[in-house]
Formats: sequence, C-alpha cells, structure tokens
Amino acid sequence: MTGVAITGLGVVTCHGSGTRALWDAMMAAPVTDPGPVPDPYANMDVPVVQGVPDAHLPAESQALARTSRLALTAVDEALADAGLPPGGAATARSRIGLALGTCMGDAGLHEQWRADGGKPVARFTSALGVASEIADRLGPVSVATTISNACAAGGFALGAAADLVRSGEADVVLAVGADAYSRVMLACFNRMGAVDPVRCRPFDLHRRGTSFGEAAGALVVESAEHARARGATVHAVLEGSGWTCDAYHLTAPEPEGTQIIRAMRAALDATGTDGDRIGCVLPHGTGTQLNDVVESRALNEVLGADVPLYSLKALIGHTGGAAASVAAVAAALILRHRTVPPNVPIAQQDPECRVWLPQGLTTPLGSDRIMVNGYAFGGNNVSLVLAGAGG
Amino acid sequence: MAAVDVVVSGVGVAVSGIAGPDDLLRRTPAGAQGDDPARRLTGKGLRYKDRATRLALCAGRDALADAGLLNDPGLTVPSETVGVVVSSNYGNVDTICDTVSTIAAETYVGLSPMALPATASNVIASWLAIWFRLRGANLTMCNGPTSGLDAVNWGRLLVLAGRVDRVLVVGVEPANAPVRHLVSGGRSNGDDDLRLFDGAAALLLESAAAARDRGVEALAELGPYARKADQPAAVASIRRTDPRPVDMWFGAGAGGPAGMTEQTSYDLTAYHGHCSGALGVLQCVAGTAWLSGHDRGAVLASADGDGSDAAAALLLTAGTRPGPAAGDRR
Repeated sequence: MTGVAITGLGVVTCHGSGTRALWDAMMAAPVTDPGPVPDPYANMDVPVVQGVPDAHLPAESQALARTSRLALTAVDEALADAGLPPGGAATARSRIGLALGTCMGDAGLHEQWRADGGKPVARFTSALGVASEIADRLGPVSVATTISNACAAGGFALGAAADLVRSGEADVVLAVGADAYSRVMLACFNRMGAVDPVRCRPFDLHRRGTSFGEAAGALVVESAEHARARGATVHAVLEGSGWTCDAYHLTAPEPEGTQIIRAMRAALDATGTDGDRIGCVLPHGTGTQLNDVVESRALNEVLGADVPLYSLKALIGHTGGAAASVAAVAAALILRHRTVPPNVPIAQQDPECRVWLPQGLTTPLGSDRIMVNGYAFGGNNVSLVLAGAGG
Repeated sequence: MAAVDVVVSGVGVAVSGIAGPDDLLRRTPAGAQGDDPARRLTGKGLRYKDRATRLALCAGRDALADAGLLNDPGLTVPSETVGVVVSSNYGNVDTICDTVSTIAAETYVGLSPMALPATASNVIASWLAIWFRLRGANLTMCNGPTSGLDAVNWGRLLVLAGRVDRVLVVGVEPANAPVRHLVSGGRSNGDDDLRLFDGAAALLLESAAAARDRGVEALAELGPYARKADQPAAVASIRRTDPRPVDMWFGAGAGGPAGMTEQTSYDLTAYHGHCSGALGVLQCVAGTAWLSGHDRGAVLASADGDGSDAAAALLLTAGTRPGPAAGDRR
C-alpha cells in the first residue's frame, strides 16, 4: 500500500489551541484534573470533563455549536500549516475532500433543546452538521463524508482520507476528528459506573474507568506527488491503517484481542515492515479495566513489551471521536522532535498491563515509525502507522 | 488501488407492505397496513434494540441470504472477509432523545444500563457485525441526502483497498416521534403532513472475483459514482465516464439523464416518503431488482440533495451471466 503525505496539522485540547500548545503540554506532562461541566442538567454523580476553555477558541466562532467550533479551530490551523488557506490559489487548484470522524457531532444542541423544552431550529443538525460547517469553510469539496464510528471515528476518518487519496477521489483530504462534552455520553458512562472520579488514568492499577475531554484534531493528507508538485512540507507519512471489527459485544472488547491484533498487523503489513521498526505506540488506553488489559496483551503479542507507549488520554482525557485524530497529530509531533515525551505520572502501574510507560523523562525515538490505536463500542478497531517524512 | 470490478451479489429490503426487492418496482406506496418488517426477526437478543437496528438486521439478513453467505449457523465465508457500511441520518435519535428526557426527569439513575449502548453512534453497524459475525471493516456514515449512495461507494472502496472481499451495505431510517420532531423542525403534529420512510435496504457488494470463486451470480455491476454540487453535475459526470444509454432512472428533480419518460423514471420517495440516508441504498436495491429482470441494461440512481449543497449519482449495469454455476436463486 502506498503511503500518503501528511502536510498540515491542527489541534485543540484542554491545554489550548495549536500544535505548539499540545507539544508543550506533552513535554510538561502535568497532572490535570477534569473540571465541572457548564451544564445545569448534568444530573449525574461525576459531572466533570477536561473541557476546552472558551479563551482558547476564536471569538468569531462563538455562534457555532461546540463540536463545530472545536473542529474549525483545528481545521483552520491545519489548512494554514499546509499552505492551503480557504480561497487561496493552491486550494482552488486542488480537488479537496473532507473525512470527519465524530461520535456525538453537535448533539449538544439537541440535548439543550430537549431539556429546555425548546424546539429545534428549522435546519436539522447532527453529526453531519459539523461536516457542513467545515465544508462551508473549505468551499467546493469533491467528497465530504462523516464517519460515526463512535470513539474510533477520528482514526477511521484518517484511514478513509488516505483511501480517498489513493483511489483518486480527491487530491487533498482534510481528516478531522472532533467531539465536545455530551450530556448523554457522560451520563451513560456514569450509569455504567465507568467514569473515573479522579481523572483519566490508563494502565494505573487504581483506575476506575475513563474520564472525558473535549478536543479536535485535523490532518491534511495528500499524495507525495501532489505535495511535491505544490511545494508542500511533508510532516509525516501515513503508511498504513488496519480496520477490523470484534463482532463480539457492543461495549466490551473481545477478551483475547484477536481482532485488535489483526488490525495492528494489517497496519504493519501495509508498511512492508515488521513490528521491530515501531518506535512508539499511542495506545487507545482509556482507563477502563478491560480495555487496558486487552490492549496491553495485544501489544505484547504484536510488538513485545519494549516499545515505549505514550498514553495521551492521561494528559487530555478521552476525547471520543477526536481521540485517534489528536493521537495522530501527537504522533506527527513526536516524529518531528524524535522524542517520546514523559507520560503523565500514574501512581502504580497495573501488573496486568505489562507495557513500558516512560515517566519523568523523555525517551529518544528509536525508530521513526509510530503506531496509533483507536477502539470503539461495537468492537470497531483501527490501527494506524505513521512514519517520519524521510520514509 | 487495484482495478477491481465490484458486483452486487445479494439484496434485501425491510419495508412494511414490501415483500422483497422485486416488490419495490410495483410503484405502490409502502403499506401502512402491511406487517411490520421488524417482526420478521424474533428472539431474546432483540430486546433493547432500537427500531433502526431491528430494521437493518432484517434487511441485512435477507441480503446475506440472497448472496448465499448465510449458513446455519454462521457464514459460508471467513468472517474477516465481510465488512459492514451503514448509512443513516436519524438512526438512533429516538434513543438519544429518550435518554435526554430521562436524565432531565429522573437524573442518570433512571437510565437503563441495558439500553445505554444503543446511544453509541455506530450501534446499527455494530449489531449487524455482532449478529452475523462480520469481522471485516465496519463503518457508519451520516452524510445527509447523499449518504446512501456515498455508503455504496464506500463499500466499493473497502473492496478496492483490499480491506475486505465483500461488504454488507445497509441504508436505514426509522420513522417515529423524535425523528418527526427533528425533521419538521418541531412543527409536525404527528399526522400525515410529513411522510417519512420507515425501513431498511441492504446490498451485498463483492469483488467480481470473489463472487466467481464462490460460483455465485452477479446480480448487477457497480459502475461509476459521482458526488457533485448538484444533480445535473453529478449525472453529467457519470454520463461522461460511462455514456451507455440509461434504461431506468431512480431519482427525481432537474438534471436527470436525458430522454427519460414516466415509465423509465421512478422516484422512490413519492411512494415511500422522505428516505434520507436510506435512499441511495434503496435505489440500488430497486435498480438491482430491475436489472435482474432484464438481460442487459443500465440503471442510474441519483440523490438530488433535497435542497442541500451536494448530490450524488451511481450507475448500475446488468450483471455478468456466468455459466451453470450461477444457479437460479430468484
């Protein structure tokens, strides 16, 4: 499978807007507790998330629903980074596509209408509404697709963007993952007893579930030829993506991890290399009991136990459909700096999770390939392999 | 990506008053007095599944069976070779709305843990995978009016990318009070002022080689697909790529293929209501049914975007006619 070039990056998390803010937070590795949600109807035990402060979002986007607002913040950065400003000459010459991954879309609007007793606006707004807002920014697009694969949606969107480039359906595809606070999602996880009241603590012996965050990640992908022809800087290469489905249970991972192993191997196969060439893994690692154990065992089987993990959710929370997109952006930054940042400290690593989580110090990136995993309800699994721009 | 011919090898439909794909060609409205298709599946496993999921399971089962993929139990092919693409714009809106109301009235404690998984955006595709043990790539799309045709094309892309050998593509929309409320902008009074499609349609797409290897007849072949700003542009793009005469057009509005008459045009929404994300798949199921009654021909499906800023079109052509192995399944 031919790799596709990543030529633009954009991101917004609870630590601020922009790749610089994310990288600074990754290097500082602060322990960040989630804060109360600004929602009077959050009738639940643990009504907290790692939200994005309004101060980090452009004032001119205030009128937008929250997920759209997050998405556009990341999109604007990615387009500028790629040298493809909306309305610009290079943008006009390219057939641009959009692949959006989101779990809840702008469901916050419906949640507000329904609880307030109000009526929806005339225009139905859903997950697809976020794509519409981005498409409005882009102008004419050749493809605009919204992938609603729950918490792995952003990873599937990036893989789909690469497929669209390879198939010739678009010259350039903007792959975006975005999700904001959703009362429904947080309440459901509360009801299942799956929200950690402390914070998101993947692989910690004392973890008690996940803890959500708000975020958006955006990546501009195109063929290497197209990037070269327009003089774009290549930040990283998406070499492969593997997609599988457990077909086992709606919420629980298949205990043997058979299909997540298959997804990792499929992504590796596409690179034409083997697991020894993976220098770091950004795991799905949510902090739920079973996920972390199953993923650890799967990583041991495919890559061994000596590959450093960078556990991004410990820093920004579980950002739903944005998670794998933001992880891919973080992976590109790690490739750029050739450094694995220190993980946010955990109190005591679960002995069932025999993975290497470097804490308190940076680790040189031993090999310039990084694996990113994303998993979701329904057993939807995606693994991505990103390589440095040198190939 | 490899140049691979992708064919339709199975179809299924779950619409009240419609007995099967051929019935879609009768130009009669979906029967309000017909049996509820969701009742075709029974068993304890159906508890806590929303209407869209039940409809999708019914249509999906029929398409898998039509393609000769269902064993008892299991599949006739490795489960990893079968993917799923679901298109739905309103899929589990009913579950989400009920959940919001319950949180407001009773706090989160009032929620049923058994029903919670159905709030996930990919619940329909997930249940299709779990129910039929489909372990290939699994996608859920929510693309607005073009979503159904987009999903069919994504099914093809999964095959072309080598991710799977075959894909179950399902378009589904439920008609119930929450959907009616949203689609009408809160104005619908629940009477017949807004006709909504309530059903599911399913296609089994497969690489032509994989179908041949199984000795299965291709019911139709996927031709070019286009997504453009409006229907005239989408249809023109298809015509440029494949100029063969169109025998039947499933679509409506301005910019359809030239020379179509009342007999050669069929607007499924006129009979089945606002189909939203199910439309493109329903059109392809009807188109495949039409082609199966003809030795050769071409059917164009198009979704004109319903006033939005995108339209899609896709061509289906008469299936290849292999030798004796094809069998006579119809």
